[in-house]
Amino acid sequence: MRPILLSGHERSLTQIRFNKDGDLLFSTSKDKIVCAWWSANGERLGTYAGHQGAVWTVDVSPNTVLLATGSADNTVRLWNVKTGECVKTWDFPTAVKRVAFSPDGSKLLAVTEKRMGFLGTIAVFDITYGDGDLSNLNTQAEEPSLRITCTESKATVAGWSYLGRYIIAGHEDGSVSQYDPKSGDQLENVQAHEFDHQINDLQFSPDRTYFITASKDKSAKLIAASNLAILKTYVADTPLNSASITPKKDYVILGGGQAAMDVTTTSARQGKFEARFYHKVFEDEIGRVRGHFGPLNTIDVHPAGTAYASGGEDGYVRIHHFDKPYFDFMYEVEREQMRK
Amino acid sequence: MSRLGNNADWADDDEYDDPSALPATQITENKDGTKTVVSYRFNDENKKVKVTRRIKSTVVREHVNPQVAERRSWDKFGLEKGHAPGPSFDTTSVGENMIFRPSTNWKAQAAEAEKNPEQGSMKDQLKDKKVKCRICSGEHFTARCPFKDTMAPVEEATGAGDMGADEGAAGGLGAGSSSYVPPHLRGKAGGAAGEKMGGRFEKDDLATLRVTNVSELAEEQELRDLFERFGRVTRVFLARDRETQRAKGFAFISYADRGDAARACEKMDGFGYRHLILRVEFAKRST
Repeated sequence: MRPILLSGHERSLTQIRFNKDGDLLFSTSKDKIVCAWWSANGERLGTYAGHQGAVWTVDVSPNTVLLATGSADNTVRLWNVKTGECVKTWDFPTAVKRVAFSPDGSKLLAVTEKRMGFLGTIAVFDITYGDGDLSNLNTQAEEPSLRITCTESKATVAGWSYLGRYIIAGHEDGSVSQYDPKSGDQLENVQAHEFDHQINDLQFSPDRTYFITASKDKSAKLIAASNLAILKTYVADTPLNSASITPKKDYVILGGGQAAMDVTTTSARQGKFEARFYHKVFEDEIGRVRGHFGPLNTIDVHPAGTAYASGGEDGYVRIHHFDKPYFDFMYEVEREQMRK
Repeated sequence: MSRLGNNADWADDDEYDDPSALPATQITENKDGTKTVVSYRFNDENKKVKVTRRIKSTVVREHVNPQVAERRSWDKFGLEKGHAPGPSFDTTSVGENMIFRPSTNWKAQAAEAEKNPEQGSMKDQLKDKKVKCRICSGEHFTARCPFKDTMAPVEEATGAGDMGADEGAAGGLGAGSSSYVPPHLRGKAGGAAGEKMGGRFEKDDLATLRVTNVSELAEEQELRDLFERFGRVTRVFLARDRETQRAKGFAFISYADRGDAARACEKMDGFGYRHLILRVEFAKRST
């Protein structure tokens, strides 16, 4: 496995996302630039310039036409993926920490920070894709169609469950809640992680019926989207920043490391800057991949399950294309099942 | 003629018209199907650099979504605008190869892999290394050889023999012989002339027996008792392991008289001692 190192950013990475076909990879960092890369060879397709502050989050529409980014300059921007033009800017009173397209691409949610007297919110926008030839991309709704206010604890991450039926949000106090995307009502709230340990990442399985959360409490949990039942728990020895579910093989990848502010006082070995692979079903750790010089801030898996990429506090993105041993590994029981 | 008219001087080749211009890229097809591309560019110090690349192209056919295929033809934009196709060196590099092998007990394997590389190499280095004595070919350092006083090293021993052979000639004032004889040795009686320092011992090994298949628990005194029946034993050496102090399985017995040694060799060969059958033979100078 030879990783491809992408060094297009000058500051730490905040989020990386593969598009639905897996041929493009988008990365955002605190250096205000958004990059698009070909995932196969690490060639940079282009950059999206316009943000005035650290870019916290990125998501790409399922048809890879629009790219949404949320930034510390209190805006969400919508970009034309192909040309790099900014087609729409929405202003918010506070920074935007997470954006996510609904599975059909018709809606976009944005999670805003709680700051300066403003409560954390989740805003939902209706997205249009212009005319048939994708020409009028800049005709977008000005106002959100829905605004969910998080009165108890601000949301840090959010996403759409299967068929866009629920909005699932992870909160600063370690709880996970389920909202109705039509009415904005909170349907359920579960204290999934230890109290007051922020949830740093929330990623869905390919069919979006369950998701994984990564928390500061050094664990990741697999949770069902329909009733927020905790299915599995993966315990690590370091605060986790990101977690991802791999298609094709039943693994999960966790990334984390010493908190960024403590990095200078710990050695690379102690810092545990490794991507950890756990078996999704058996909850055992089955391997680690080293490489980053800082904590892993974000991980995303290729939708076909053939590669994964990680972005670190060190400013590098590493794309790893899996090789044979990764696909060959099986538990004894799995092998027996294969033979039957 | 018109060409001459255009170029005033033959030295003004059109290539040198503009010093900042780069020569055109040359592409040559090689016989083995590879391409050699010679291109020129300016490096960071504004120096012209010639880049020669040998490219082997293999066509990999892949079926993709039409949208993916369409995206392949997209032009670069933003900071990458106008850049040549292919990964750029300043943003993309390939990392070190790493082995990722999922396993249920990866922790133990990782710990082992971390320890082993050093140990493994050291082991490999010393794998076929054996300590060999230059005097008796035993498994010890030459400096520690018990026979360093009684036996000369293999090569020197033959040299000493030669000396002994022509000692008659050396005995004189060196007439007819080219070799220089130091004054204190000149005119000395027969055998002493030309004799080496260790020469006195040379004959000794003629009366030295090598005993093998000796029990681990053997004692030097017991061996002396056994072998003293046949004559005066001048020296008994029982090889011992330096750490455990156990016998290593062989010993050397030196007799004052070769006749005694021969008798002992004959009688003691096949003698049962401490449940082991001894093998006795004359010590060879070089084995």
